[in-house]
Amino acid sequence: MSTLVQQLVNGLTVGSLYALMALGLTMVYGVLRVLHIAHAGVFTLGAYAGLWAFRGSGSFWAALLAAMAAAVLLGLAMERWVYRPLLAKPPIATLIASIGVFIGLEELYRIVAGPQPHGFEVPLALPALRAGGVLVTAPQLLVALVTGVLLAGLWLLLARTELGLAIRAASQDAEVATACGMNTRRVVALTFGVGSALAGAGGMLVGVFYNSVSPTMGSVTAYKGLAIIVLGGLGSVPGTVAGGLIVGVVETLVISLVEFPLPRDAWAFLAMIAVFLARPQGLFSAR
Amino acid sequence: MKRPASLVIAVAALALAAAPAAAQDAIRIGFFAPLTGFAAADGASARHSAEIAVEEINAAGGLRGRKVELVVYDDRHDSKEAVALANKLVEKDGVVGVVSGSYSMPSRVAAPIFGKAGLPMTVAYAVHPDVTKAGPCVFRNGFLGQVEGWAGAEAAVKVHRARRIAVLTIKNDFGATTGAAFIERARKLGAEVVSEQIYPLGEKEFSPYLTKIKEQNVDLIYHTSYYNEGSLITRKARELGITAKLHGTEGIDSPKFLELAGPAAEGATFTTNLNRDDPRPEVQSFLKRYRARAGTEADMVGASAYDAVKILARAIEQAGTDAKAICGALTGLKDYPAITGRIAKFTRGEATKPVQIEVIREGRIRHLATIDNPEVITPPVR
Amino acid sequence: MYVYTVATLLGIYCILTLGLNTITGIAGQISLGHAAFLGIGAYTAAILTVRHAWDFWPALLAAVAVTAAAGALVGAAAIRVREDFLAITTMGVNFVVVAVFLYFPFFGGAFGIGGIPAPSWPGGSLGKPGLFLLVLAGVLLALGVNLWLLRSWVGLALLATREDEDAARAAGVNVRRFKIVAFTVGTALAGLAGSFYAHFLTFISPEDFGFAFSITILCMLVFGGIGTNRGAILGAGVLGVLPELFRPLADYRMLTYGAILLLMMRWAPHGLLGDESALWRALARRRGAP
Repeated sequence: MSTLVQQLVNGLTVGSLYALMALGLTMVYGVLRVLHIAHAGVFTLGAYAGLWAFRGSGSFWAALLAAMAAAVLLGLAMERWVYRPLLAKPPIATLIASIGVFIGLEELYRIVAGPQPHGFEVPLALPALRAGGVLVTAPQLLVALVTGVLLAGLWLLLARTELGLAIRAASQDAEVATACGMNTRRVVALTFGVGSALAGAGGMLVGVFYNSVSPTMGSVTAYKGLAIIVLGGLGSVPGTVAGGLIVGVVETLVISLVEFPLPRDAWAFLAMIAVFLARPQGLFSAR
Repeated sequence: MKRPASLVIAVAALALAAAPAAAQDAIRIGFFAPLTGFAAADGASARHSAEIAVEEINAAGGLRGRKVELVVYDDRHDSKEAVALANKLVEKDGVVGVVSGSYSMPSRVAAPIFGKAGLPMTVAYAVHPDVTKAGPCVFRNGFLGQVEGWAGAEAAVKVHRARRIAVLTIKNDFGATTGAAFIERARKLGAEVVSEQIYPLGEKEFSPYLTKIKEQNVDLIYHTSYYNEGSLITRKARELGITAKLHGTEGIDSPKFLELAGPAAEGATFTTNLNRDDPRPEVQSFLKRYRARAGTEADMVGASAYDAVKILARAIEQAGTDAKAICGALTGLKDYPAITGRIAKFTRGEATKPVQIEVIREGRIRHLATIDNPEVITPPVR
Repeated sequence: MYVYTVATLLGIYCILTLGLNTITGIAGQISLGHAAFLGIGAYTAAILTVRHAWDFWPALLAAVAVTAAAGALVGAAAIRVREDFLAITTMGVNFVVVAVFLYFPFFGGAFGIGGIPAPSWPGGSLGKPGLFLLVLAGVLLALGVNLWLLRSWVGLALLATREDEDAARAAGVNVRRFKIVAFTVGTALAGLAGSFYAHFLTFISPEDFGFAFSITILCMLVFGGIGTNRGAILGAGVLGVLPELFRPLADYRMLTYGAILLLMMRWAPHGLLGDESALWRALARRRGAP
């Protein structure tokens, strides 16, 4: 029993990291209806920026802010110079452009920071929690803490501010939102900013949690994030959080309980395909 | 608006212009490694070391009075790239031999093409057994997976005195052969292999596997992994409070393992071919040169690539540039002082050399033991 | 032989982009998993010729048939799952197929399958030029199939499905059937390419057929001009040969590749020779003018 709970804890930790990666993807999809592959490049930049800032400042929180700030800048730049000019173009062109940006970013990171992964050792002032044979390690606690703060912030933003209302309105129907006098262009940019900030934090957190920052660390985000957001019902924020947690838990439990070996990605995608065949609009459709 | 496009063209033109005009009389040696993509770190290490080897050769007057030039290609760890670059090396570049500084998959695709063309090939560290079967003139400097697995079992049972062992295997050709051989020999030596779990390349989250192992109360975990996965296994095991010994493979032989695993690496051991405490001057001089050139400590991938170039070069020095003669020289090679272990001889392309057991002590990779039991280190070639 | 090697690879890319064009260009069903079908074809051909000593030709037919059957299954799923959900589903299919190749010993697992014989011909085995001609014939066949699909009533219905699925249904088009037809034909072509691929490389392993390759194929198609056969062929040719041409760029090779994708979509979103592209329109105007 305690093993099962332990694996649940493990799965939820991974799942919350997935959720942080995927939230920006789903929000961008909500307002623009594009699969923002290059989001994975934003995620990786967050990890590098956080690492450099941490080496400079020695403060985890300063590094987290730097990671989010760098990610926001990159996200806004992409919105302005990649997505906005392509809005009226066929969606597949946007997808390919996004892939091009992602390939280019990965290569840029390799050329600038070298192909080797860098360690990201942060001394944690957190205890490990133990309760009845179940262990929550200090890094797991850190992930839970930061994710919790960020999600609460996101919820406040979306539920309690006019900006949040505008984002939600735009993701329901951009045309109606414009007709109602909302400046959708600004809303889209803000959505990119918020989504990228979460990805930047997620990237840094993954770097710290696994003590590794490398040029290709975003490629998992690139595809698993997509699976999670469609599972959550493309564009739905709560659906994406749930989708991330579910994928994390399902992967972990399957690996630990089922003897039949397939890699965790395959299990995640099998689960996703099964869900689609039953519910083609995803588990928590926004529409 | 035009600027980005013209910039690309300018960069392209510059790069083309900068491509070295082949010195007419240089001896050209082909070299390929994954210089971009997920394996780029190993590719970079292999390339640095191969270039160090060539610089040394040229500084000492070249081969038979001619300079040596390395023709370097990126295979991106992609079969399609490997088949194209292999044909290019054979046909366009006029190389007299080829060195694989790459993984199994590209080496496996390229080897038959060189075989058909009759070009000699040395393989730095790729482990797939079929690589050397591609032709009579393919020679592997590294270990076969079996040898490394058997040696790992010797280390686990005889050096660490482990009785109950859990095995964590990476799902690729390297993990499969090494893991299976380890289990076979560990059982033969009387240890109990309690579990074998398989994980995919690039796995990041090892808590499900290790939570399971924690319950099994083992005294050693044998993991076949590269440093990315190996360091995560090591950290996670210690985080979860597992006190069992950890024994890995040449895949974690890298300064990056120390950096990524952090203090958890203390006491971890692994099998490899590079003994950093080897007093021979050629070993210490390579380690120093690598440090100066790459800015980091050397690893077995680099040292093996250095050897692969030097072995081929020596055969060229002995036999000239005729492919058949080079093959003859390689086949007849005896007692060659490679920096990754003295090669007694090649048997059907497989090197017989001792296996080194290294240990992490005070944050450094130190030598622990050498395994030279012929029953273990003789490559199993039929 | 180097020229033949590159040309044969380009030919295989062409068959792949033409097949993807049937699914994504003509029928409008985005597939992010085309490489999986290349893999199914390649593994079928490899297993039959290596383990069961089948001849090249019957194995080729079997590869096409098995792949088409798998494609029809995905096509059936596409009836329920639509648009971006379908795109991600096909991506998932790609990951699952590669994992099955890797984890099931039947498929050779991590070792892949080696020793795949060169294609045979009455009177011996084909050399490299022969294999290239065979692949070229495959490209022509794929082109022919696509042209036939486009010109016949099937093509009209598929185009209607792409433009507006609900309207097509209202007009009496059997949307379900055409989705399945598009997937079956497109993946059958991938199966053909798979057989060529296996016999050309002589060694296949699961990593050959990953998601990244699916993306590469899609990039080729969009780069050339999605929805048109000329675009499919040109895109495969240009993007297929770029990495070879860019070898001297060394470290900046893939960076340049990514930049070209972005710049192309930014300033020519309809591809080089798509119906809406500036270049094609200019060509059409010149032809139109007497």
